Amino acid sequence: MSIKSKALIRAEKLLPGNQDFTSITDDIAGVPEQKKTPIQWWLLFGLSLSLLSIFVGSVGFLIWEGTGIWGINNPVFWGWAIINFVWWVGIGHAGTLISAILHLFRQNWRNAINRFAETMTLFAVICALVFPGIHVGRIWVAYWFLPLPNQMGMWPNMRSPLIWDFFAVFTYFTVSLLFWYTGLIPDLATLRDRAKGLKKKVYGFFALGWRGGNRQWQHYELAYLVLAGISTPLVLSVHSVVSSDFATSVIPGWHTTIFPPYFVAGAIYSGFGMVMTLSIIARKVYNLGHIITVEHLDKMAQIMLLTGCMVGYAYSMEFFVAWYSGNPYESFAFVNRALGPYWWGYWAMIFCNVVVPQFFWFEKYRRHIPFLFITSILVNIGMWFERFVIVVITLHRDFMPGAWAMYNPTMWDVAIYLGTFGLFFTGFLLFLRFLPMVSIAEAKLVLPESDPHHGDSHE
Amino acid sequence: MQEIPKPITSLTWDNAALISMKVAKKLNIKNGQMLEISVGDNTINIPAFITPGQNQKSITLELGYGRKFNGRIGNEVGFNVYPLRSSDSPSFILNGSIKVLNETYPLASTQDHHGLEDDKYAAPGFDDLANKEAQSRIPELVKQSTFDYYKDNPDWVQKKVEQHKPDKNRSWADHSMYNPDWDYSKGPQWGMSIDLTSCTSCNACSIACQSENNIPVVGKQQVMNGREMHWIRIDNYFAGDPDNPEVSTQSVACVHCELAPCESVCPVAATTHSSDGVNQMTYNRCLGTRYCANNCPYKVRKFNFYNYTKDLPEVVQMAMNPDVSIRFRGVMEKCTYCYQRISSARITAENEGREIKDGDFQVACQQSCPADAIKFGDINDPNSEVSKAKRRNRDYALLAHLGTAPRTTYLAKIRNQNPMLVSKSQNGSYQ
Amino acid sequence: MSKYGVIAKFDNPQSLVHAAEKVRDEGFTKFDCHSPFPIHGMDDAMGLKRSKLGYVIGAMGLTGALFGFGLQTWIHSIEYPMNISGKPYFAYPAYAIITFELMVLFSAFGAVFGMMFFNRIPRFHHPVFYSEKFSDVSSDAFYVSIEIDDPKYDESGVIDFLKNIGGTEIEVLTDEN
Repeated sequence: MSIKSKALIRAEKLLPGNQDFTSITDDIAGVPEQKKTPIQWWLLFGLSLSLLSIFVGSVGFLIWEGTGIWGINNPVFWGWAIINFVWWVGIGHAGTLISAILHLFRQNWRNAINRFAETMTLFAVICALVFPGIHVGRIWVAYWFLPLPNQMGMWPNMRSPLIWDFFAVFTYFTVSLLFWYTGLIPDLATLRDRAKGLKKKVYGFFALGWRGGNRQWQHYELAYLVLAGISTPLVLSVHSVVSSDFATSVIPGWHTTIFPPYFVAGAIYSGFGMVMTLSIIARKVYNLGHIITVEHLDKMAQIMLLTGCMVGYAYSMEFFVAWYSGNPYESFAFVNRALGPYWWGYWAMIFCNVVVPQFFWFEKYRRHIPFLFITSILVNIGMWFERFVIVVITLHRDFMPGAWAMYNPTMWDVAIYLGTFGLFFTGFLLFLRFLPMVSIAEAKLVLPESDPHHGDSHE
Repeated sequence: MQEIPKPITSLTWDNAALISMKVAKKLNIKNGQMLEISVGDNTINIPAFITPGQNQKSITLELGYGRKFNGRIGNEVGFNVYPLRSSDSPSFILNGSIKVLNETYPLASTQDHHGLEDDKYAAPGFDDLANKEAQSRIPELVKQSTFDYYKDNPDWVQKKVEQHKPDKNRSWADHSMYNPDWDYSKGPQWGMSIDLTSCTSCNACSIACQSENNIPVVGKQQVMNGREMHWIRIDNYFAGDPDNPEVSTQSVACVHCELAPCESVCPVAATTHSSDGVNQMTYNRCLGTRYCANNCPYKVRKFNFYNYTKDLPEVVQMAMNPDVSIRFRGVMEKCTYCYQRISSARITAENEGREIKDGDFQVACQQSCPADAIKFGDINDPNSEVSKAKRRNRDYALLAHLGTAPRTTYLAKIRNQNPMLVSKSQNGSYQ
Repeated sequence: MSKYGVIAKFDNPQSLVHAAEKVRDEGFTKFDCHSPFPIHGMDDAMGLKRSKLGYVIGAMGLTGALFGFGLQTWIHSIEYPMNISGKPYFAYPAYAIITFELMVLFSAFGAVFGMMFFNRIPRFHHPVFYSEKFSDVSSDAFYVSIEIDDPKYDESGVIDFLKNIGGTEIEVLTDEN
């Protein structure tokens, strides 16, 4: 029985249509090999580049003029910069989660979206890492975060949650990059083998001379498995550590032990939202509906329902504990979130994060693509508001009513936030153009023919 | 001086027509709404500022503003109210009339919330939310009682302080999560005591501190953005009847917590503790993450959002205190307990071959306090003024339940009012 | 012109696994089975020992953890003791996170660079690349290669053997320059 036989009954719905190893390679590798770049790509790329130039310009002005151009004040010393940082890091969670945890659980459906999600992670974490760098007052000494030996004989304070945060996000970025690149090596070899001229040299350089021998696969698979294994606690730790920026403080509304799990759930939630948004666009633009199927979107919607309910639970638990603790400062912090001057932010968060995903209980909505698209965007709006609630609403009224104040963002806050989208999409579009957006090697594993025992029953 | 908040209103830079809250509600006047005030043929335009305790039938105006030839800082600040003044009635003018104009003028107050105004932007129907909360915190923050109550219960403050202890059998220091290695029992250990009974909220401490410590003047726009730099501020709280409120004031500077929340969060160890118990900022090391200020429960840390001292004229630069470094953009600053004065006194004492003794020096706020409400000195010396003050039964620490162990403590406010003037709603008692 | 070995194509994963078993049983040691994706059970079929990569990763992880904890202890207890929030110099609970992060970071470096070390990559020239057809292995082809260094290598014998076990498109790898 030939491998190219079309008569195979496919148990997996994840790869519908008549697919075989060759067609998978052709379909996926065909995208970066396109002779003519689709016009949509150029439009999006132009838009991204203009946003990126806004980013470069406004960061330049920020460095020139100082953090005073933002709306931050006393007592709201952290504003949009930290909100955006936490938001982007949160989005950057889905990639490694999908790659690592779902890999460990042998959830093969992940193979269609993991590359995509990992790339999204990388660029999201880059966008996130921008903010701790630029939000400090003296940007030119931001490297003091690093424990580098120096002529001043000074060292950082390793007990500061910001240092933990720096180590966690930096480690996360590095491990994600290694994970992503390791996954790419066999696919780069595929592209190398199909390309000619300069492209062959470039792809060949990054493919490191991969030749698909089992003596390589053996170590490769173990390395990949271990990366997945260590990324799993890592991905859970990153947002826990980010949450400790808040949770280790004394400020009512921040000082809570619920933060780490709640932040992790929220991060996965927003990450899946972003993967959903991007994959719906990409499968439309590149006609990849047979590789990123409705089944995948359905499964992602189920995870979003789960994590959405988890954050919803966290929101209600925060209120309950604030009341149950009997601490008047704590209680007020939460009442002020829901009913104070920024009540609209709180209710926007509740609507987008808790109410909207309830539709995912119904299969009809989980498979309705326009609905999923709008929902996935709403979820990320909601998650942005969650960080707004935590950062701004908490800080603007803490212990001393004499120091309470309102916070108003400026145009520079907005410009830098929009600019990071330019950074994100520029990188992401370049990835779509030049690299396989679905793992070619792993997509083949979903085919029943890839199982060495598959043919046995037919012989 | 323009940036020093005025007592009660906390207004900076401008003068305003202070009007009663009830009148404002009746005529629908908002803060900063322009009023046309006429007396006879003379008319001025001036923004309104709603002030608790202002008599319903009167408006308070301040002289001395709106000058044309007053240099860099003074020109065109505020509104000239001299046109209303005549030699017949230099201080009190009767029979004025006001007209509410349909324009507003931005006023910069350093305190947004003092316990009586509406929460304009709150969820519909909850505009008294912040009010109630601020009022409910007054007895906690500004501990106070009537004189009669204090006579009958001299220990009430201490009993309140004890209430917060998680474990009544242990001392406050033992409640720390860690058992600190730090020995504060030797050498001079600096501390401060502020008597809220004597404090009249005149803001002299604030201006003295500003000139001693080269604190930048940030300008009206920055005050409106909430970025004033005063290291010591006066918080005013009002409670009860808006026209006859119970006023509680409190001067707040860095309280130099022994277990300071700000220090442990700094990623580069720019804020640390000295062996004599002072919470110190290393400006050169600070990179401006502002995390310390977020984590300060007293909100006394001030940040240089811009390079405020860049365009100072040379004359002003020469008027700076040479003992105190000028802070650059992007660093945090706060009360140092006038460490330059401590150092200079210590050096003098060493040169004279003796121990530093109480009264060798005064810190700026203490020196300028007309009511002598601020005491500063060595808390290890049982005979120092500050130790004596801290031994009084009115002594308490602000937000003590956080376990920060502040070096600056307060003496509770004891009111002894004329019974005829006591606000009916509060009656001076918070117990 | 020198020779480097022989490659033979197989139809699908299961025939590659069966071929691998036969090559192993025949006593070859310097051979490899090339496929577009990892094939389950191939390690046993080829008679490969367990990868030693795990030990490398474990050692790196331990190094990272010790380095992280040691660095923090050294900074705060020895090199740069500071009174920060009145906390003791050796505030070990606060060191947990960086210790963990460095453990993960070092393990990840161990995994990736260890994998490269064991796989002898980057290596941009390899005899198998002399075959034009071999490039299909990264798409849909399955190959067995036997190197000339193998003690049992004997060109015509190997070609016959590969034919017998079902190999097609057998090619001798030669450096044509």
